[in-house]
Amino acid sequence: MSKNSSKQLKQSGAKKIKHQRRIHKRLIKTLFQNAHDAIALIDDRLCFVDMNTAACDLLGLPRKQLKGQAISTFITAEFARQPKSGNFPPAQSLMGELLVSSSAQIQKEVEYTLTPNVFPHCHLLQLRDISQRRESMQAELRQQKQRVELFSEVTLKIRQSLQLKEILHTTVTEVQRILKADRVLIYHVLPDGTGKTISEAVLPDYPALMDLEFPQEVFPQEYQQLYAQGRVRAIANVHDPAAGLADCLVEFVDQFQIKAKLIVPIVQNLNANSQNQLWGLLIAHQCDSVRHWVDFELELMQQLADQISIALSQAQLLERLEDVVAARTAELQEEINVRKQAEAALRESEEQLRLITNALPVLIAYVDDRQQYRFNNQAYQDWLGQSPQEIYGCHLHQVWGEDCYQRMQVHVKTALSGQAVNYENDIVLKDGSWRSVDVTYIPHLDDEKMVKGFFALSSDISDRKAIERMKDEFISIVSHELRTPLTSLHSALKILATGRLGSLSSEGQQMLGIADDSTERLVRLVNNVLDLQRIEFGKAILECQACSAANLTIQAAEAMQAMAQQQEVTLVKQPQDISVWADADYILQALTNLLSNAIKFSSPGGTVWLTVEQAPASTNLPPEVVFRVRDEGPGIPADQLERIFERFQQVDSSDSRKKGGTGLGLTICRKIIEQHNGRIWAESTPGCGSTFSFTLPTLDSANIS
Amino acid sequence: MDTKRILIIDDEETIQTVVQFGIRMAAGWEVFTASSGFEGIQTAQTQKPDAILLDVMMPDMDGIATFKELQSHSETEQIPVILLTAKAQTAEKRQFNDLGVSGVITKPFNSLDLPEQITRILHW
Repeated sequence: MSKNSSKQLKQSGAKKIKHQRRIHKRLIKTLFQNAHDAIALIDDRLCFVDMNTAACDLLGLPRKQLKGQAISTFITAEFARQPKSGNFPPAQSLMGELLVSSSAQIQKEVEYTLTPNVFPHCHLLQLRDISQRRESMQAELRQQKQRVELFSEVTLKIRQSLQLKEILHTTVTEVQRILKADRVLIYHVLPDGTGKTISEAVLPDYPALMDLEFPQEVFPQEYQQLYAQGRVRAIANVHDPAAGLADCLVEFVDQFQIKAKLIVPIVQNLNANSQNQLWGLLIAHQCDSVRHWVDFELELMQQLADQISIALSQAQLLERLEDVVAARTAELQEEINVRKQAEAALRESEEQLRLITNALPVLIAYVDDRQQYRFNNQAYQDWLGQSPQEIYGCHLHQVWGEDCYQRMQVHVKTALSGQAVNYENDIVLKDGSWRSVDVTYIPHLDDEKMVKGFFALSSDISDRKAIERMKDEFISIVSHELRTPLTSLHSALKILATGRLGSLSSEGQQMLGIADDSTERLVRLVNNVLDLQRIEFGKAILECQACSAANLTIQAAEAMQAMAQQQEVTLVKQPQDISVWADADYILQALTNLLSNAIKFSSPGGTVWLTVEQAPASTNLPPEVVFRVRDEGPGIPADQLERIFERFQQVDSSDSRKKGGTGLGLTICRKIIEQHNGRIWAESTPGCGSTFSFTLPTLDSANIS
Repeated sequence: MDTKRILIIDDEETIQTVVQFGIRMAAGWEVFTASSGFEGIQTAQTQKPDAILLDVMMPDMDGIATFKELQSHSETEQIPVILLTAKAQTAEKRQFNDLGVSGVITKPFNSLDLPEQITRILHW
């Protein structure tokens, strides 16, 4: 190589280097000036030496003015306030964030890198404005917060409602609002594989899909399974081949101007053991443009789909509950119907009962165990002027007043103790008049034999009473009117029979005897008729007290002794020292009646026994004493044993005249004994005599009852 | 048996007669008669009989009223009174006894038996 050439080479080499440096410098300058980040060189005093355009923009002053200014004028960082840069660690960059205040007092958040000593006493400061990034991040955060708030609002709305339809509507409406989607819908997959939109929120510009039914092929089974397993699809552009939509499907969605779609499944887990089942899909459509769905949107949709799934379970529970309630309601309705029918039947039968009882001219009532009326017939209105409605629920005392109630009380108690009772009472009618009533109370016993109340029947017996009174008076008058002439006749005949007023022929004596006998018979008949009448109509008020059975036996026997002697009959008495509860006068009357009969029907030389004894103890009868009058007479045929106690009944009526009987003696005896709560009967063996027996309560049993 | 003086008060003359005959015939007692309560009271006051037989059923003043009247006068209150009545019932007999009469003899009776009945009732 020649010297020249080497020189030339050297020269050309130097040129090259120079040229390269120049290029390099221009490149750096260009980079420096055009860099997006702000770049400044600062000296040891921390004053600006130079800076690029971006730095001038950031600081808000032209380069000329910035040069020489202290960085602390603009920068808040710690290092900027250091008087010297000597503290910068050698060859180590400082990084961080600081605030830059521009000349226009606009603060900006800045990321910085300080590289000390890039040249001697010259340091490089790089600043990158991050305000915008911050802002957008904050905006994003705000947006997310807002979305979370919206989401919780929606879920709250979902949970607050039990109506599935409402929940679904809320969901689509809110999702549409939050995502600003053009259409949000819920597609329900039916068991047969078809499906339809059951809820939709769509902007008015786009066609509605609501209630549109889609055939099975639109949403094939394998797709359904994928979704059931949790697949979601976010398609930004349906026409993008990457989206992988079949042509027919693209064509299909085009009908509805769908450009982008987001699909999340709504799955149901019917119970712990079963697999998830696809109930439907929550779908968002964008129709005006393609749309890149962001994660948040996807999450929101998924979470809402979960909420819908929960709501579905609840709705199904509710539905089941509603079914149960509906079934029970139907049952209750049926029960009510049955009850209504029963009530109607009851009403009808009650109306019938009223119809019947109202037509009867007697007081008919039902009184409960608290002595309150539960039923009355119309007669109460007619008689007392109180309607059955007014009386219903009233106490007997209220309806009848103090006086009348006093007379009723004891009988009411008897009825409520379970015993039927019959008595007579006088009542005051609405016009103030008095009426005699015959009252019957029949206790009402339930299945457990408890007395629930009683039925009361009161009939007007005023007319009967009036007739009775008339009869009574008639008999009283007749008896007096008959007795007086009878007395005269009887006495006159007796006086004549003494023969002291002159003697009669034997035929005259015979006639006198007939007249005397007939008069005596007439006297007995009148006496007996009166006795019977008195006893029968309860005029004879028994005054029962403790009587000695022995005394009664002795007194009766004594009274009949004369007659027995006359008939040549032996009277045998066997007194026993037992106390009976009786009216002595009446029992004596009964005993003498029976003895008189026995003597009359005995043959001369016969015997009549009068005995008394305690009846054998029996479980179902109170203790009793039995009186017996036994004779050795002709006896009574079996078929006559009961009849002889009836009025004017005698075995042989010719006997009665022969024996001087009236045919009323046994009837009177029976009345007397029955009034004493005793029994009377006859036993006989024809040819061997008869026994007449009656019972009386002992003192003890009378006191018990 | 002493001779007694008996007053019979009865509106029926036949009764008066048979009683008078019977008592005289059976016992030989003296018998006064009166046909009404008023007359009976007067006779009782003037004659002061040993006993009075008094009919219950009489017009104007019945036996009960007559008896009460007799009881209210000092001259007659001591005279025993026996009622003659057709009201033979036990209950009525009791009622008469309660009045304070000495006894009751029921109609019809045999007037020949009266002295014996009276003697027994009055414990003569």
